Amino acid sequence: MDNQTANSIVGFMMVPLGLLGLLLAARAVDVEIEIFGYGLVIFAFLFGFSTIKRVYDYRDAARAIAHKEAGHG
Amino acid sequence: MALNIERDEHTGTDTTGHEWDGLKELNTPLPKWWLYTWLACILWALVYFVFFPSFPYGKGYIHGLLGASSRNDVMADVKGFAAERNAVMSKVAAASFDDIRKNPELLAAAQTAGRITFANNCQPCHGAGGAGNPGFPALAAGSWLWGGKLEDIQQTITHGIRSGDDAARDSQMPKFGTDGLLKPEEIQQVADYVSTAFFGLALKDAAPASIAAGKDIFAANCASCHGDNGEGNRDVGAPRLASKIHLYGGTRDLIVRQVTSPHMGVMPNWNGRLDTATIKSVAIYVHDLGGGE
Amino acid sequence: MANVTTGSAPVTYNEEVVRKFIIAAIFWAVVAFAVGCYLAAELTWPELNLGYSFTNFGRLRPVHTSGAIFAFGGSMLFGTSMYVVQRTCQVRLWGGSALANFIFWAFQFFIVMAALSYVLGFTEGREYAEPEWHLDLWLTMIWVLYAIVYIGTIIMRKEPHIYVANWFYLAFILTVAVLHLGNNMAVPVSFFGAKSYSLFSGTQDAMVQWWYGHNAVGFFLTAGFLGMMYYFIPKAANRPVYSYRLSIFHFWSLIFLYIWAGPHHLHYTALPDWTQILGMTFSVMLWMPSWGGMINGLMTLSGAWDKLRTDPGLRFSVTAVGFYGMSTFEGPVMAIRDVNALSHYTNWTIGHVHSGALGWVAFISFGAIYYLIPVLWKRDAMYSVKLISWHYWTATLGIVFYITSMWVAGIMEGLMWRAYDAQGFLQYSFVESVVAVHPFLMIRLFGGLFFLLGALIMVYNAYKTIRGPRSAASMLPNAALAAGE
Repeated sequence: MDNQTANSIVGFMMVPLGLLGLLLAARAVDVEIEIFGYGLVIFAFLFGFSTIKRVYDYRDAARAIAHKEAGHG
Repeated sequence: MALNIERDEHTGTDTTGHEWDGLKELNTPLPKWWLYTWLACILWALVYFVFFPSFPYGKGYIHGLLGASSRNDVMADVKGFAAERNAVMSKVAAASFDDIRKNPELLAAAQTAGRITFANNCQPCHGAGGAGNPGFPALAAGSWLWGGKLEDIQQTITHGIRSGDDAARDSQMPKFGTDGLLKPEEIQQVADYVSTAFFGLALKDAAPASIAAGKDIFAANCASCHGDNGEGNRDVGAPRLASKIHLYGGTRDLIVRQVTSPHMGVMPNWNGRLDTATIKSVAIYVHDLGGGE
Repeated sequence: MANVTTGSAPVTYNEEVVRKFIIAAIFWAVVAFAVGCYLAAELTWPELNLGYSFTNFGRLRPVHTSGAIFAFGGSMLFGTSMYVVQRTCQVRLWGGSALANFIFWAFQFFIVMAALSYVLGFTEGREYAEPEWHLDLWLTMIWVLYAIVYIGTIIMRKEPHIYVANWFYLAFILTVAVLHLGNNMAVPVSFFGAKSYSLFSGTQDAMVQWWYGHNAVGFFLTAGFLGMMYYFIPKAANRPVYSYRLSIFHFWSLIFLYIWAGPHHLHYTALPDWTQILGMTFSVMLWMPSWGGMINGLMTLSGAWDKLRTDPGLRFSVTAVGFYGMSTFEGPVMAIRDVNALSHYTNWTIGHVHSGALGWVAFISFGAIYYLIPVLWKRDAMYSVKLISWHYWTATLGIVFYITSMWVAGIMEGLMWRAYDAQGFLQYSFVESVVAVHPFLMIRLFGGLFFLLGALIMVYNAYKTIRGPRSAASMLPNAALAAGE
C-alpha cells in the first residue's frame, strides 16, 4: 500500500534540488550561501541514492514475503 | 459508524459515542466556574474598552472615556521628578563650589546626585570608584591629564575631550611612526629611554647607548609637551610620564605602539545630556574619589 | 513488510518516520539543554564567551532557543502528530514513505543549516525566526509538504469524526504556516547572498515580529502540544477525555483570542496605546480558554490518579499540565500593563518562558517519549521505571531552582530599576542591579544542569530499552513482518 509513484516523485525531485545547490554554491557572494549550496548538493545526493536503495529493499522484502507465502501454500 | 454511547462507571457520565484508537470522550457539561470566570474576564475587557483607548477606525482610534495616554503620563512623570530634584538642585546650580562645600544640605544633595549619575554614565569607561581602565584615566589616582581642581573637572565633563564641542579640550600627538617623523629604531631608542628613565623599568636589553640616543630624541621631539623630566603638561593634556600610573599601560612595547600611532581618547561633552547642577555634582563626586586637588 | 490491505486486515502504520523523529527529538533536547547551560554560565561569568565571535552570547542564544523550540519541540510535534493522525484516522500516513522520510531529513538539514548560520553571524534579527530568507524558503517547502501529508491522511481517514488532538495539530500546522510567511516577508539583497531586509519598518516591524513571536508560543508551543496532551494522557491513563464540550469551547476560543495578544510584548514602547490595550485585554480573556486544556487534561485522570504512583511517564504528562496551568495564568498577569511595567526586560520574563518551556513543553514531550518508545520499538516496557522516576525528580528540582531564582532576580531588578530617592534621583545604577542578580544567575545555572542531567538519564534509559529484547507478542511471525516495515 506504500505509494511507489509518490516515492519516485520524491526521489526525482532531488535532481533539481541538487542542481539548485550547485548553482548557489557556484555563484554565492557570501560564505553562508556557499555552505547552504554545498549542503543542498550533499543532501540531494545522499537522499536521492538512499531513496533508490529503499525502493529496491522494498522490492526484495515483497519478493521474500511472496516466496514464503508460496512455499507455505 | 453508529454511535455507541456508554455510561462511564466512575463519573456516571455518558460518553459521546465516538471512539478513536480506543479513546473516548465524556459528554460532561462545561464547568460552571470556568464559564463564569471567562465571562467575567470578557466583561472586564469590555469595560476597559469603554474607558481606555481600544479599537482603531480609519486613521484614528476610539480614545475611551478617561482620555488616557501613556505619552502624557510619561511627560507628567518626567516633569514631576524634575520638579522634585529642582527644589535643591536649583540651589546647587546657583551656588559656587565653595558655597556648596560649606552648606551640608547642598553637599549631601550633590554627593547623592553625583554618585548615581557617575554610576550610570561614567562608570562603564572609568570603572567603579574611578579606578580607570586602559585608555580611560583613573580618576581616583590624582594623575590628572587636564587638571584636578573642581572647576577643571567641571570644564572637562561639560565640554568633553576631542568631542567636537566648541569648548572641548583638544590636542593631538603626532603619529611619529606612521607619518615617518621618526625611524623605527629611533622610536625603539625613545622607548628605551622613557621606560628606564621615567617608568622605572629595569630592562636588560636596553643598551646604555640606545638610552642615551633616546634621551636626545626625547628632548627634540617629546619634551615640548611631556616636559624635560616627563612631568607632563595639563595645558595640552600631555600625560605625566614620570609616574607609576599609565594611561595605556606601562610596558616598553606599549610605548613603541603609542609613539608609532598614538591612541587619543575621546570623552563626550555632557552639556547636552546633563544639566549644570548635575554636572557640578558629578565634579564634586569625582573630586572626592581621592584624587581631587 | 505486510503491505496488503484487504477489508479486515489491520493497517500497517508508518512508524519508521515517527521513530526517527523521536530519536531526533531526544538528540536535540540534549543539545539545546547543554547550550542553554553554557549560555547560563556565560551570563553568570561573561569571560566564558572565550573571546571568539562564534561563542558570543548573541550568536549562541538562537542556537539554544531554536534548538529547544524547533529542533526538540518541532521534532516532537512532527513525530507525535504523524503517529496520532495515523492511529486516530486508522489509515497509513498519506503520501508514501519516501515523502515522510524526506520531511524528516529536510527538517534535520534545516536545523543544522540554521544553527550553522547563527554561529557564522547570519541572522534576520527576528526573535525565534532568525534564519535568513533562503532557509525560510526551505522551511516553507517542508511545511507545505507536512501539511499535505497530514491533511491528506485526515481526508483518507476511516473514522467518521476527527479526534480533538487532530484539531489542535491542524490549527498548529495552518497557523504556523501563516505566521512564518507573514513574519519573514523580506527582500534579499541578492539571490546569491544571505542578507535580506524586512518588508516592514519601525514600529510596524516590531509589531509583526511579536504577532509572530507570541503566536509561535500560542500555536507551536501551546496548540501543538495540546494535541499531544489530548492523545497521550487519555491513552496512558486509559480513561475517556473529561469533556467533549469543553474541548470544543476552549479550542475555538483559544484559536480566536490568541492571535490578538502579541502587542503585550511591546507595552510602553512606541506602539500606540490602543494596540497595547487590545493586546492586554485579549491576553486576560485568553486565561480561561487556556485553562480549558488544563481542566480537560487533569480531570481525565479522575478515576486513574493511582496510576501516577506506578507510571512516572504519566506523572511527567500530568505535571506538564500543572505547569501549563501555572504559566498560562502567569502570562495574562504579566500582560497587564501595570505588572508589565515591573516585569518587562527583567529575568522574570526568562523564568516565565522556562516554566512554559521546561515545565509544559519538555515535560509533556517526556511523557509522550516514555509512552512511545516501547510502542514504537515493540518492547514490553521501558528498560527501567526507576530511572524514569529519577529523571522526573531531577528535572522537577531543576525547574523549581530555575523558576524561583528567576522570579526573585526579576522582581528585584524591576524594583531596583524603578527606585528613586527622596530627591528624585535613581537609587541604584544599572550595574548594581547586575551585581545583585549574580547569585540568582548561579542558582539558575544549577537548575539548568539538573534539567540536563535528567535528560541524560532519559537518553541512557531509551538506549537500553531500544537495545534490549523485543516483547514476546512482537515475536509472532505476522507481527515481526509488520514491525520490520
